[in-house]
Amino acid sequence: MTLLATTTVSMYLAVGAVMFVTGVVCMATKRNALGILMGIELVLNGANINFIAFGSEYLRPDSLGLDGQLIALFVIVLAAGEAAVALAIALNFYNNHATVDVDQADELKG
Amino acid sequence: MTGLIPTLLLAAVLLPLGSFFLILLAGHRLREHAAVVATGAILIASLLSFASFFIWVGGHRDTIFPDNDGQVTVPADPDSVASSVSYDESTSDAGDDHDHGHEGSGHDHDGDDHGDHGSGHDGQADTNHDTAGHQTTRIEAESGEYYTLGVFGRLQLTIGYYIDTLTICMFCMVTLIATLIHFYAQGYMHEEEDDEVVDHEVTLEDGSPFKRPGRYHRFFQYLSLFCFSMLGLVLAGNVAMVFVFWELVGICSYFLIGFYIERKSASTAANKAFIVNRVGDFGMIIGLMVFWTGCGTLSFGDYHNQDGTTAAGLFSQARPADNHHQLVTPEGLVKLSARSEIRAAVQQRRKELLQVGLDLEAPEREALIAAKVSQLRNDDPNDTTRPRYGYWLLIVGGLGIFCGCVGKSAQFPLHVWLPDAMEGPTPVSALVHSATMVAAGVYLVARFFPMFAPEVLLVIAVLGVITLFIAATIAITATDIKRVLAYSTISQLGYMMMALGVGAWAAGVFHLITHAFFKSLLFMCSGSVIHAVHTNEMTEMGGLRRKMPFTAYTMLIGCLAIAGAGIPFVIGLSGYYSKDAILEQAFSFWQVNNSAFAGLFFWLAAGGAALTSFYMFRLWFMTFAGQPRDEQRFEHAHESPRMMYVPLLILAFFAITIGWKLPDFMATGNFHLTGLLETARPAGLHGDSQGLVTALTWPDEHKSHAWAIKFPVTLLAFATAVLGALLAGIFYLARWLDPEEVRESLPSAHRFLIRKWYFDELYDLVFVRPAHLIGRVIYRIDRVVLDTILHMSARVTRTIAVFWDRVADQKVVDGVVNWTAAMTHRLGIALRAVQTGRLRQYVMFIVVAAVALFLVISFFFQSPASAGG
Amino acid sequence: MTSALLANISSDLFFIVFAGIACVFAVAVLLTSNIVRMAFYLVISLGATAGLFFLAGAEFVGAMQLMIYVGGTLVLLIFGVMLTAQSRFVNMRTHPRDWIMAIIVGGSLLMLLLTAAFRVPSWHEEQQVIAAASELEVADSKTATRLGLALSGVRVDKINADEQLKQGMSGYLLPFVIVSIHLLVVLIGAAYMARSKRMVRRTSEQAEDTTSS
Repeated sequence: MTLLATTTVSMYLAVGAVMFVTGVVCMATKRNALGILMGIELVLNGANINFIAFGSEYLRPDSLGLDGQLIALFVIVLAAGEAAVALAIALNFYNNHATVDVDQADELKG
Repeated sequence: MTGLIPTLLLAAVLLPLGSFFLILLAGHRLREHAAVVATGAILIASLLSFASFFIWVGGHRDTIFPDNDGQVTVPADPDSVASSVSYDESTSDAGDDHDHGHEGSGHDHDGDDHGDHGSGHDGQADTNHDTAGHQTTRIEAESGEYYTLGVFGRLQLTIGYYIDTLTICMFCMVTLIATLIHFYAQGYMHEEEDDEVVDHEVTLEDGSPFKRPGRYHRFFQYLSLFCFSMLGLVLAGNVAMVFVFWELVGICSYFLIGFYIERKSASTAANKAFIVNRVGDFGMIIGLMVFWTGCGTLSFGDYHNQDGTTAAGLFSQARPADNHHQLVTPEGLVKLSARSEIRAAVQQRRKELLQVGLDLEAPEREALIAAKVSQLRNDDPNDTTRPRYGYWLLIVGGLGIFCGCVGKSAQFPLHVWLPDAMEGPTPVSALVHSATMVAAGVYLVARFFPMFAPEVLLVIAVLGVITLFIAATIAITATDIKRVLAYSTISQLGYMMMALGVGAWAAGVFHLITHAFFKSLLFMCSGSVIHAVHTNEMTEMGGLRRKMPFTAYTMLIGCLAIAGAGIPFVIGLSGYYSKDAILEQAFSFWQVNNSAFAGLFFWLAAGGAALTSFYMFRLWFMTFAGQPRDEQRFEHAHESPRMMYVPLLILAFFAITIGWKLPDFMATGNFHLTGLLETARPAGLHGDSQGLVTALTWPDEHKSHAWAIKFPVTLLAFATAVLGALLAGIFYLARWLDPEEVRESLPSAHRFLIRKWYFDELYDLVFVRPAHLIGRVIYRIDRVVLDTILHMSARVTRTIAVFWDRVADQKVVDGVVNWTAAMTHRLGIALRAVQTGRLRQYVMFIVVAAVALFLVISFFFQSPASAGG
Repeated sequence: MTSALLANISSDLFFIVFAGIACVFAVAVLLTSNIVRMAFYLVISLGATAGLFFLAGAEFVGAMQLMIYVGGTLVLLIFGVMLTAQSRFVNMRTHPRDWIMAIIVGGSLLMLLLTAAFRVPSWHEEQQVIAAASELEVADSKTATRLGLALSGVRVDKINADEQLKQGMSGYLLPFVIVSIHLLVVLIGAAYMARSKRMVRRTSEQAEDTTSS
């Protein structure tokens, strides 16, 4: 019954890694500005999972404890703020260029 | 008291030098007062010279004024025996009289305490006869040093003096004539005082005559320098000093001849004088070298070494006291010439000693060398088998010194400069080229006489007689009044040289002094004439005695003097005595040697006397007698100002009287020019001397005064003088024969003479043109070869520079810089491509960077868990 | 004992369920090209993540995740989607080339992270987990009070810690205040940036108006 092996920190980290990488690839491939935002959310969540895993007392005797959870809390708050600003930028971009296709936003090329 | 004389004479020498410097520095401000400075200096110098003369006479009055029929009673003075170890002493010579044997030392000479003629010599106190029984009066020369310039081992260079009666007489003569000429020149050169002088002999391109500011002060500046040089030459105590002043006199002559520098003829003449003199000086340097190397000294008299010992001077080496002052080959020359034999002997002795175990010590070595020298020396005229070591060196040295005299005294073949030297102003001709500078050569021969081997004397005589003859022949056709006098000077110099050459030392020097007076008188008179009629050509003169009586009659006196006029056996002008003395010795020489060659001297001299008389009276008649040939010039002619004719009068007085003896009852003893000169005769010059290489004999000069010689010679001399004057009168005064006809009937002879025997053309062909040719060749080489090399190297340098610039500078250096810039630009452009502005790409970069970073860090760090596990 | 075992088994089972949902739907977000569907999948994924949080004992954080993240941030995102959902923006495909690049890079990153996750032995030793779990009372896993106190500066969870760990006794008061200011700034900025402006019509010349400010 290896499927029901005890959950360890590593498994949580694995999940977090998958979410992180998915978010990164999402950021890299989506043409829609909002899709990129979604990728960013995924990345942040993957990081949060890591923090929580390390801060869980169920998984390790010498865990981070409260620190892990607090950090995750802050990350959530900041992610919210950042999402707001990012959305504002995206909407501005949409208003100015009449498109959300980030491939059209290459005016800063060298 | 006589110790004052070196100082007085030094002051007399330096005064004109001071005048020179003063005029040099302040001449422009002094202007006409420069003449006063110069004349004042030379006047004081002449006063000093005369003062020295009287001091000298006073100091040696027992010799000069002997009582008892010319015999001297002198107490024996043993001091003099001990104190002198040199030539000056001749104590072993029974007959010679000395006032004090001494050694010139420092500035004073130690004979000072013998101030008066108190010391005599060795025991023989009665007559002063030499071993040959002839009456001799000799006063020792005083020699010493003013200043030592440098000591190089045993060679010493000093500024020294050698004073004997000859020196003092020369001083008096030179300063007196120079003073008179300074006065004369003040009148003659007065046109140079103007601020603008018009020189008619120089024309500019547009035909107008040349105008320049006057150079009055410069004339006196050069005259002062010349006086300094001449007096220094007379005073000189060693040959090196003579040489220095020799050159100085030469350069002064150059300046003075070329005084009118803008005239091409004058500057060319100055060049010619200097260059021809230089040729002679070259020989003189060779002579100097011989004596310097061989004898180790150039000093006439004995001198002190640095360590106080006395060393023998030239005269002592050539005529040592222990040989009765007869000429021997100096030890140094023998050593020089026989050095291989001496070295062989020394080596042999050394080898002998080394075999025994000893070594050759210095004293024994010196003794060995001395013995070898005396063994090798061969001064015996009868020994013709052994080689004469060193004798040929002595001849070469003597000939070398004489070479300088040939140049300076205008002897054949270096006589060509003197006629051209007449381009200078007449005071210059009177002072420099008649009385003093040209006499310097004769003076040196007289001074250096003890060193001359008889063969050298023979050469001197031969050259002298040739010179006198050539010059006399040229003078009879010359029409320029100064040229006639110039050739006359050359001829008379030839007489003096010939006299010295045949052994008439006193006669030659006597003629030197008398000639100085009447020749300068003649020149000054001619200058007076030229000043009056503004031309040199006698063909434009005539009948001037009515306009210029002073000049005419003083010139007549000069002509009579030079012709040797006088009443035979009774009285005569100065030239009469001196010329007779020369002819007597020449006759004696012929008699003793009894060969046609020896007779040549006498007969040519006599012929020369006739010619002299002829051309001098020709000159006088053409200038002062007859009808004027150019009316305009005759109109303008006038007597010279007093400044100019008073010196003429004074000189005329001397020309008449200088040869006279005061009557016997006045007990003047030896106080006449001849007698004074006798006191200066070099030691050992008595008795016949014989040549070692030639077979001739030089008779004693005193023998020539014997009645058997005097009688015919006097008559002959008088006859020649009268003959010459008569001929001149026939041609030019009475006009019974026409010189023009003679000229036309002997055209080639006339041309030969008027072209000066083609000497100038010959020298031009042999020397001047090859020199020009060489100059042109070298110029060609310089232009073609050297300049090509230079241009080529310049071109090569330039090519290298261009190449270097193009390759290195442009390609390499610029290339590197440009490449760097291009690379940077390209890099920038390449890197620009990174900035695509595409958001998703940036994200990719972030991720890739993160991965790479992790990978890199994972290589360097190991997690402690994995390390432990 | 049985309840503990059941609890264990059930926690593992729930873990797998939640983890699977989170991962699958995260991948679905990646794979779909429809922006609306993307938003929906994201919601589900984040919800599953909240479940993971609960399982790990951080129920407060899990609750916050649901409230703030899902209920706030994602709603905001959905608003944005709605505002820009013109027909041509709804489906935007990426070039396969970009996909391949992204897969390669993402794959390498994934490998890296997984390797790192499973390398440290103390992270995947079961004994530790069992020991940890046995020591813990269920009632002790409530953390809300402690979190709140920590945010106001008091770390009550470290009272019994040994001397070394006591050095982390300072609370999170300062970060709390900083974050609140930060949020204020963000809100102001976002509000400013998102104010109404003239909309640019996409014309053929692609003229761009400068914004009036």
